[in-house]
Amino acid sequence: MNKKIKKTVLHIPVLIGLTFIALIILVPILWMFISSFKPQHDIISYPPTFFAKQVTLENFIRLAKRVKILYFVKNSVIYALLSTIPSVLICSIAGYAFARYKFKGRNILFILVLATMMIPFQVIMIPLFLIVSNLKMYDTYWGLILPKIAAAISIFMMRSAFAGLPKELEEAGRIDGESEFGIYWKIMLPQVKATFVTLVVLGVNGAWNDLMWPLLITGDMKMRTLSNGIAMFVGTDTSEHGPAFAGAFISILPMLLLYIFGQRYFVEGTVTSGLKG
Amino acid sequence: MIKAKNQRLSMTFMPYLFIAPVIILLFVFNILPLLSAFLISSFDVSTSFNHARFLGLGNFTEVLGDARFWNSLKVTLKWTAVEVPLQVILALILSTLLTENSVSNKIFRSVFFLPIICSATVTSIMWKMILHSNVGYVTYLLKILGFGSINFMNSPGLTFYVILFMSIWKTFGISTIIFVGAMQNVPKSLYEAAEIDNAGKLRQFYDVTLPGIAPTMWFIIMTRLISSFQVFDIVYTTTGGGPNFSTETLVSFIYTRAFEVNRMGYASAVSVCLFIIILVITIALYSGMLKQEKEL
Repeated sequence: MNKKIKKTVLHIPVLIGLTFIALIILVPILWMFISSFKPQHDIISYPPTFFAKQVTLENFIRLAKRVKILYFVKNSVIYALLSTIPSVLICSIAGYAFARYKFKGRNILFILVLATMMIPFQVIMIPLFLIVSNLKMYDTYWGLILPKIAAAISIFMMRSAFAGLPKELEEAGRIDGESEFGIYWKIMLPQVKATFVTLVVLGVNGAWNDLMWPLLITGDMKMRTLSNGIAMFVGTDTSEHGPAFAGAFISILPMLLLYIFGQRYFVEGTVTSGLKG
Repeated sequence: MIKAKNQRLSMTFMPYLFIAPVIILLFVFNILPLLSAFLISSFDVSTSFNHARFLGLGNFTEVLGDARFWNSLKVTLKWTAVEVPLQVILALILSTLLTENSVSNKIFRSVFFLPIICSATVTSIMWKMILHSNVGYVTYLLKILGFGSINFMNSPGLTFYVILFMSIWKTFGISTIIFVGAMQNVPKSLYEAAEIDNAGKLRQFYDVTLPGIAPTMWFIIMTRLISSFQVFDIVYTTTGGGPNFSTETLVSFIYTRAFEVNRMGYASAVSVCLFIIILVITIALYSGMLKQEKEL
């Protein structure tokens, strides 16, 4: 009994500390959500207010007048989906080959793939920019997406996932006369669905929030993504707080929904990359 | 018979076909750019490649004499020296408190992890307003407490730490979650044995937890160090390097050289320096890790 009391007493300061940190995360996000529906004079009122006295869509309308917000959304969706789903597919085929076949040069090629993980994007961004621009892909979806398709980390995680499957599965497919691709596609890939979805979820979140590459490779306002489009808008005009909040709201909402429904994939993907790396 | 032969033939070719796309893409968009970075760094060249002039090591001598380069390196080193230990210690403490899978722990974990969905743009919009020098919440609180108003986003010396805070705010949950995963994998029996030896909680942490999560610890330190050397997004979306270059990191410096004054060769030379720094750190840490593994 005494021990239990001691434990609870110790627990209270810990709980207070944890709650405080949680508030530092939640309050700004919540406040931003509410503020994007406040009229400008409420946003810059002093003392600051948390809740909205009146709700308005004025910020969203002003934002739409200032920047091509619908294009930003469209481009973010295209970038987030097309730089991840094809990427995970192509990387899964490669991971499958590395895991399930013996072929000449396998180990050296796999080490080469892993070594590319060590190349920081910030180191190669200039040559990459020059290569992509000289391939006439500046300001195109191809230029935005193509360099992001091959991702060593996806190949690595896919390889680990495929390596754990029993040999009997593919043997059965061979006896049934499936083609090698058929075995991968119909039998093996469905077995690693969880890893596949995890990589897609993390990839979508990463691309959606990616700032650097879209910033470099797009110039036209109609080609910008939410992340760099809003950043540039905020950078040019520091007094437009309301529209900035509205832009932040639009860009965080889809990922918040993804997080609420797919949190398990966020966590699993992050933890496995940490434990295996 | 023929079918079996075909199958064997396809078994030899298929793996190459399967890996061909990623190998080609990795070559064109990762390996080739890395090699080109070294090449470009020896030229005076702009985006268009017109009037490219070979300089040999000219860019590098200029880099070494450039006060702004040394400043950005200093800022980056300072960032690393403060951010990495703070983040690792904070994440260690929080993950120790949150290892058990109770309902409240799960809630805390998912809240701490939430900023993973916030882009640098969103993070900076939020915090810049909260810290706004006239109408921000924190400014308001400080005034109530009797302090004067502080210009968080525009004071050399202070702004650096403000941005660093935003960066930790955004990422500490990720480190915490990874540590929790590692700590849950430490066998329970080890703690029970320590319990029998009458080891206190702190003793258990040192003797059981820390050795148990050593590989993860190395992973976190390595990835945090490397990403500290690559800080850009949060600087670009808040200060752009100011005030007075006090937040200009190496990558921000590279960005301005390449894309604001169009000096691709010079910027590449700085990138190459960055690459060498990161490479040295990686190798040093990796050999440290191997050495520790041998000792264990």
